Amino acid sequence: MTSTTSTPLSAAGRPRPSATRAERTTRRRMRKDLLRSRIAAWSAVVVIGAFGLLPVYWLLVTALSTPESTFQFPPKLIPTDLTLSNFTALAENDQLITYMVNSLIVASITAVLSVVVATYMGYSFSKFRYRGRRSLMHLVLASQMFPQALLLVTLYTVFSSFGMLNTYTALVLSFTTFTMPLCVWMLKGIFDTIPDALLEAASIDGASRWRTLHSIVAPLAAPGMIAAGLFAFVRGWNDFIFALTLADKEKQTLPPGLVSTYIGEFQTAWPQLMAASLIVSIPVVVAFMFLQRYLVGGMTAGSVKS
Amino acid sequence: MSTAAPPQKAPPPRERTGGRLSNGAFALLLTAPGLALFAAIIFYPLLSALFTGFFKQDLRLPGREFVGLDNFTYWLDGDFLTILKQTLVFTVGATLVPFVFGFALALALNTGLKGSGFLRGLFLFPWVIPGVVVSFLWMWIFNANYGVLNGVLMETGIIDESVAWLGRPGTAMIAVIVTKTWASFPWMMVMLLAGLQTVPRELHEAASMDGAGSIRRFFAVTWPQVRGVASIVLLLEFIWNFQHFDTIYVLTGGGPAGTTETFATAVYQTAFKGFDIGRATALGGLWMLLLLLLVAIHLRITERKGDA
Repeated sequence: MTSTTSTPLSAAGRPRPSATRAERTTRRRMRKDLLRSRIAAWSAVVVIGAFGLLPVYWLLVTALSTPESTFQFPPKLIPTDLTLSNFTALAENDQLITYMVNSLIVASITAVLSVVVATYMGYSFSKFRYRGRRSLMHLVLASQMFPQALLLVTLYTVFSSFGMLNTYTALVLSFTTFTMPLCVWMLKGIFDTIPDALLEAASIDGASRWRTLHSIVAPLAAPGMIAAGLFAFVRGWNDFIFALTLADKEKQTLPPGLVSTYIGEFQTAWPQLMAASLIVSIPVVVAFMFLQRYLVGGMTAGSVKS
Repeated sequence: MSTAAPPQKAPPPRERTGGRLSNGAFALLLTAPGLALFAAIIFYPLLSALFTGFFKQDLRLPGREFVGLDNFTYWLDGDFLTILKQTLVFTVGATLVPFVFGFALALALNTGLKGSGFLRGLFLFPWVIPGVVVSFLWMWIFNANYGVLNGVLMETGIIDESVAWLGRPGTAMIAVIVTKTWASFPWMMVMLLAGLQTVPRELHEAASMDGAGSIRRFFAVTWPQVRGVASIVLLLEFIWNFQHFDTIYVLTGGGPAGTTETFATAVYQTAFKGFDIGRATALGGLWMLLLLLLVAIHLRITERKGDA
C-alpha cells in the first residue's frame, strides 16, 4: 500500500550508509510502530464497522424480503428470493401518503419559520454588542437542553386550552422549540464569518441597517441559511414524540404514522415497515449529503465555539 | 468593557446609519420575534409546569386542586430513586460506549487509511436516519421469535434457545443502550475526527523521534489536543441522553416491569397514560433541577473556551 503518511525516514532523504546506529534503531522501531498502528486501525474499522453496517444490511434485506421468508427461523442471512412488492405496496397506501404530505408541510414551514426568526436573532448576537446579549445567548443555548418530554406535557395542556391540538400550527410551534435554538447558533456562527468592515462600508455608503441586513448580509449568508433550514427540516421530519402526542391521524407525520400503520398488537409487518423506514430515511440522507460540509460546524455551533 | 472593544468589532457610527433607534435598541428589536416565540412555547410552558406540580390535575378535565407537596412526596417516597438510577445507567452507558467506539474509529480513520473519507460517510448512516427508524430496525433485530440476533447466536451455538432481549428485565436495558450506541457513535466519530485533524502530524513525528511509543504518544500528544472536544462531546451526549425519549419509548415503553423506566418515559406515561398532570410535572420538576445542574456545567465549560 502506498502510504499517505510521510514518515520521517523517507523525508530525511539522507544517504543510508551515513545513518548512525541509533538512527537505525529508531527507524526500525518506527516501522514496527507504523505496522502496529495500521493493524490496530484496521481491526477497529472492521469490528466497529460491522456493528455499524450489518444492521443497515439487514434493513435492506428485510425490506426486499417476502413475508414468508421473513417469518422463517433461523433467518437466511443471504436472501435468495428478493422482491420489490413491499415498496409498491407503500405507494398504494393512501394513509401513508397523507402522513408524508403532512411531514413535508410541517417540516418545511418549521424550517422557514426557524430560519427567518433565527436570522434576525443570530445577526443581533453576532454583529451588535449590548447589555444582556450574553444572557440571551445562554438562554437560547440552555433552551436546547430542557427536557422535551416535560415540555411536551405542558405544550399539550397549552395547545389543548387554545383548541389547537391536531393542527399544523401546533406541530410547527412544537418543532420550533428544538429547531430554533439550533438555527440561532448556526446562523450566529455564519454571521461571525462576515467581516464587519463590509457592514461599515455599507453604512458609509448610506445604507440603512435594515437594508444592510436584507440586501448585503442575507445574500452572503444564503448558503448558511439554507443549511440551517435543511437541518431544521431534518429535525422536524425526524420528530416522533411531538407529532405522536399533539396530532391525530389526519395531521400526524410519518414517524408516528409508521407506528400506527405497521406495529400491530400481535404481529408486525416487518418487511413493509422496513421498506417504509427506508423511504422515510431517503430525504434525510439526501439532505445530509448536501450538509456534509456544515456537519461539524453546524452540530457544534454553540457548544464548541472556535 | 464596551469602550475597550477592539476596533474591528466597533459598531458602525450611529449618525451615519440614518436610523432612529440606537444600535442597542435595534439589536434588541432583531431578537424580539425570537424571544416572543421562545417565551410562548418554551419558557411559559416550563414555568407553568413548575406550578402545576403543586396541583392535582387530570389531563382530560379542566380545573385543578392545590395539594401542596403531595405530588413530590409521591415520587420521593416511591420510585424516584429507581428512576434516577435507571436514567443514570442508561445515560452513562449510552454516552461512554459510543464515545469509545467513536474515538477508536476516529483514531483509525485519522491514520490515513485508504478510503477513509468514504468510510466516514458510510458510517454516518446510523446517525442520520430518523430515530424512530433506528428503533424499528433494532426492535426487529432483537425480535424474540424471528430476530436475526437470536438466529446468528443460535446458529453459532452461543445460545440454545431464543432470548426475548427486549422482554426480559436483565437484558432490556442493555438492548436499549446498544441501540442508542448505534445511533450516536457516528456523531462522536465525526466530532473527534475533526478534533484529531487539528493535531499537527509533525508533533507525532517529533515525539516518535524522541523515542515515544504509540501509547506514550497518545497521552502526550493526541489526548491533550482533543481533550477539549472530547469533554464537550461527552457532556452534550450526557445531557441529551439524560432526557432521551424516543428509543426507550419505542423499544420497551419503560418496561419490562419498569426496568427501563427513565425520567422521560415516566413523565410521559404518567401524563398521557395515567392522565395525572400534577404528578407528571412534579417528577418533571425534579428532573429539570438535575438537568439544570448539567446545563450549568456545560455553560461554564463553553464559557471557559472563550467567547466571541
